[in-house]
Amino acid sequence: MALEDICGFKDTPVHRKWFPASHFEDTDRSFHMTDFGLRRLKKSGRNSGIPLQFFIPTLPNSVPFNPRPSLPFSPSNHSVTVSRPFPLSHGTTTLGFIFQGGVIAAADSRASAGGLVACPAVHKITPIHSHLVVTSSGSGADCMLWERILAREIRLYQLRHRRCLSICGTAKLLSFMLHPFKGTDVCVALTLCGWDKEVGPKLIYVCSDGARLNGDIFSVGSGSPYAYGVLDRELRWSLSKEEAISLAREAVFRATHRDAYSGNKVDIFHITAQGWSQRKREDLKEEYYRDMERRAKIVEERKRVTILDALG
Amino acid sequence: MALQDLPIQFGQISTVQSCGAVSYQDSILPSLSLPTSLPLASSQSVPLPFPMSHGTTTLAFMFQGGVLAAADTRSSCSGLVACPAAQKILPVHSHLVGTTSGTSADCALWKRILARELRLYQLRHGRRLSTSGAAKLLSHMLHPFKGTELCVAATLCGFSGPSLYYVCSDGTRLQGTLFSVGSGSPYAYSILDQGVQWGLTVDEATSIAREAVYRATHRDAYSGNCVDIYHISSKGWTRRSREDLKEEYYREKERQERDGM
Repeated sequence: MALEDICGFKDTPVHRKWFPASHFEDTDRSFHMTDFGLRRLKKSGRNSGIPLQFFIPTLPNSVPFNPRPSLPFSPSNHSVTVSRPFPLSHGTTTLGFIFQGGVIAAADSRASAGGLVACPAVHKITPIHSHLVVTSSGSGADCMLWERILAREIRLYQLRHRRCLSICGTAKLLSFMLHPFKGTDVCVALTLCGWDKEVGPKLIYVCSDGARLNGDIFSVGSGSPYAYGVLDRELRWSLSKEEAISLAREAVFRATHRDAYSGNKVDIFHITAQGWSQRKREDLKEEYYRDMERRAKIVEERKRVTILDALG
Repeated sequence: MALQDLPIQFGQISTVQSCGAVSYQDSILPSLSLPTSLPLASSQSVPLPFPMSHGTTTLAFMFQGGVLAAADTRSSCSGLVACPAAQKILPVHSHLVGTTSGTSADCALWKRILARELRLYQLRHGRRLSTSGAAKLLSHMLHPFKGTELCVAATLCGFSGPSLYYVCSDGTRLQGTLFSVGSGSPYAYSILDQGVQWGLTVDEATSIAREAVYRATHRDAYSGNCVDIYHISSKGWTRRSREDLKEEYYREKERQERDGM
């Protein structure tokens, strides 16, 4: 696997302990990566037993993620950690809830790094397969990586077992894959929003601390308290699709209004038995102006009513 | 009248270490003794008997009928509910009310000090100090304690001129039309942003304030129990009887069952 190679997993004693057979197979293949990024095709026999292979970081001599393959010396001498170019921040607002028409997932689109808006148009909701969508929060880089890993594992499962893994199974898989990184700086908080064939709509929150929670409503990120206030008030099972979408949009709007680390646009996904569908990205600036107009209209209406009362 | 004419001297760092007892009976110089060093060198300061916590939800907003202030009643102490029936909105005088957040002991003390100072001003000058004057006074009184462990975050709600001020022990003094303070404040903010407008009636404003505190207590562990609502108008402040949010929770559950949830 590419991840294995880059992390230098093969050369660690853990790999020898876990896969003694495969290590003997590959003794002719040196670790020195002289092929400069050209990867040979993986032997199909190696991965047949265990679908999960994850690198357990061995501190303090852990191999740093080094994209330059031209290391002629053994990695255990390298104990330098890469310094962060900018402070990581976990500002976002994502939410998901279940109602009679399926599952709604919504998120803002601002990626912040400390006080800088690193990117105003990020996709925080990623489809994993046709009936599962994942909202990400925490470190953007970690989330992107783990979403890809999850998508690959789900696809492999589907190819091997000829059926889609259930959402609960997906959440468990993700939780176990993240577990070795507990206590490190990996910060991933994902909400899996999907539709199971057997069970129906499902919403599971998985976090790199190890939490795995099933629920009807989740909101994650620095803007989540603001969204929770709005969602708790209006959410009912019996909402129609349009009402649910406008509730999700309102919740993200209120959060972006008050939270500095959320903003820009809102993405809304709707998952039903037929799969996920994505709405066109909406700029929350428009929502703000609409809200102002609505308030102005209410004021006008009241003025009109009081004038009529005064006359009549 | 300049602040240095006040008989109270603040920020007197006495060389005598005492347990922080304040003697109100001292008529000329009620000096407040502070720990002799900054809190960074914690070796000399009095050890806290229990960890302080700042969990609360208080809010206040202005509308056409005056100012509405609301707060929950849970006094927490990092995990323990020390008192389920605390009072977080303290009247300062007949037309000024302050919501408190932060350390409740500090807030109670500073409210009393503020009340005393405003009364003295009223007696000396024959008129009440405006809300912005009261806010400035409180802010300047708290200033010497900046950098210590004092934690007071109060919103002063009055009825003269711009009548809603947020004063905090790190020096902030803000005038505004809507404030919510405490650990439950984000939950309340979103409800308030949705519903608060200038043209609300008193009943509508009360129900929005109650709903906002209810939502905050629903989600925040450090807020809860009951809600206090005060309404300040030109005639002074009026207080609604304390409402248990448990009732609100059951009412909502019934409503949801009716709607077929």
